[in-house]
Amino acid sequence: MTATPIPATYRRPLRQRLAVTLEPWLYCAPVLILITAVMLVPLVLGISYAFRDIQLLNPFSGGFVGLEHFKALGQDDAFLRALRNTLWWTGASVFFQLAFGLILALLLNVPFTGRGLAQALVFLPWAVPTFLAGLNWAWLFNPVIGPIPHWLTALGLMDEPSNILADPSIAMWGPILAATWWGIPFFAITLLAALQSIPKDLYEAASIDGASPIQRFFSITLPYLAPVIAITVLLRTVWVANFADLIIVMTNGGPADRTQTVASYIFTQAFKRLDFGYASAVALVLLALLLAYSMVILVFRQKLSNRDK
Amino acid sequence: MATMEIRSASKNYGTIRVLDDINLEIGDGEFIVLVGPSGCGKSTLLRMIAGLEEITGGEIRIDDKVMNALPPKARDIAMVFQSYALYPHMSVADNMSYSLRLRKTDKPTIAEKVRDASSKLGLDALLERKPKALSGGQRQRVAMGRAIVRQPKAFLFDEPLSNLDARLREQMRAEIRKLHRELGATSIYVTHDQVEAMTLADRIVAMHGGHIQQVGTPLELYDRPANLFVAGFIGSPGMNFLKGDIADRCLHLCDGRTIALPAEMPATMGEATLGIRPEHVVLSPAGETGLEATVELVEPTGHGIILHLTLAGSVFKVLTHDRRWLEPGASVSVSFPTDALHLFNAEGVRV
Repeated sequence: MTATPIPATYRRPLRQRLAVTLEPWLYCAPVLILITAVMLVPLVLGISYAFRDIQLLNPFSGGFVGLEHFKALGQDDAFLRALRNTLWWTGASVFFQLAFGLILALLLNVPFTGRGLAQALVFLPWAVPTFLAGLNWAWLFNPVIGPIPHWLTALGLMDEPSNILADPSIAMWGPILAATWWGIPFFAITLLAALQSIPKDLYEAASIDGASPIQRFFSITLPYLAPVIAITVLLRTVWVANFADLIIVMTNGGPADRTQTVASYIFTQAFKRLDFGYASAVALVLLALLLAYSMVILVFRQKLSNRDK
Repeated sequence: MATMEIRSASKNYGTIRVLDDINLEIGDGEFIVLVGPSGCGKSTLLRMIAGLEEITGGEIRIDDKVMNALPPKARDIAMVFQSYALYPHMSVADNMSYSLRLRKTDKPTIAEKVRDASSKLGLDALLERKPKALSGGQRQRVAMGRAIVRQPKAFLFDEPLSNLDARLREQMRAEIRKLHRELGATSIYVTHDQVEAMTLADRIVAMHGGHIQQVGTPLELYDRPANLFVAGFIGSPGMNFLKGDIADRCLHLCDGRTIALPAEMPATMGEATLGIRPEHVVLSPAGETGLEATVELVEPTGHGIILHLTLAGSVFKVLTHDRRWLEPGASVSVSFPTDALHLFNAEGVRV
């Protein structure tokens, strides 16, 4: 190289040096400002609420309270019950969505006449606004206008037509059923796409090797679907755990808090009791739990795919 | 080990008939190659034998037992696929032992059979790998290993070498041949590559348009092709065809020139096609005996030169080992040894 070295004593003027240092930051500025304004500021504000006393109805609130909310949370039976309900609600909803979504995808993967139409119809629930879906199911369960209690009575599963949503022991099944109905298409779509990417000659090779349809399902279909199932279950779990619409619309957390999940509890705290500080603290706990859960799943998945190599 | 018999088998897709009246008898331990251009029905026939396609009409028997209604697993055959169809999440050893595990074979036997097969195929060092960590040739070997651990009645190969590069294909071809000699199992091999067919087969079944065109040993098909299709398909570069009318023991070409025919051929028969392989044409300097032709293109292949000539208005290929360089545009004389001529009638059938 023939470039002349800059003498050690030479220093550029301050303004020029400043410009050189700032240049890359200036290029990044638009995006940084955008991210800060749109994502970071609300996040930090929301988190800060968890450490402050913010009640809309109390004009003297707003002060910093430290970990007071979290201490209260530890003794809040309603919150602990909501946590248990969330586990139940999320687990059952995701399980049934996955099970029926998989069955549906397997059925739709078999060629038959009118398959295109069937596929389109099956994906319809996904397009229904959750608010509407919740109202619709609430009415279906209502013995005055809905048929379901009457059907259950006729089948002998119920002594007399009554509202499931009003019975504390089984009320949670109402929103779970609605969430399952609403979420099946998501699993069906993704699993169907994964199913269609499995090479057909693998099944042919397996059938020549002597595998029955059930053995083929367990030795080819399931291993092929496993990564897709893992990632969709992860996504869905976070989603369903955060999903309060159906519960708010159908039961509002009742009866006797039996359908109150953490997500609906946050909604109730924030918009019914108007205690934003406490609601933020609950939300922060939910965030931490879901982050931990996601990390576990991701590590698990990483291990799985490493084993494949 | 098995004999196989196909009796007037046919296959329809809806109203389209893709295979018609296929008859074939395969002896115990025979290596049969089904060869033909794509769409001739050779793969469909193989899949019908395997049980992957329904048989529309006729019968397929293995060891004198009708197979038509039996599922693939009841036929006791093994198949090697073009895509190899290895189970991607199973190791090489698991891939090979899958069928044995399904049959609940005991573990020591499985281990022994897998070891046997892997040492035959040189896979010993790869048994724990997953298919995606293997090269194309290794995958091909695993696919064959999966077939041989079972010791089935028959092996079916569906274009197993077409995804490999030319050098590897040559090598695998020899290995398949060697393996067949060792195992002596009845094999049916589908390919569109006539070189593979010639080198591997005990007998070749040439197919075209859903019909069997000719069945015979490789040299029978080369020396006495039954019709124009087989004549043109077997051999590389392909046979030259000259069209004309036969009268007075001569073939009259469209440009008025004539080719004398040997005594055993008919003296008069009207419209006909005369065939001669590029390697049998005798080349001499222009003006000497024979037909004069113009050199269009010179293709050196290393072990010889393929000359593209224009003769009677169409392309005529000559394979020569004479290294004297001919420029495009030069004139040469071609003549045909009488014992290398093939005569086909107007319907394309050998006379």
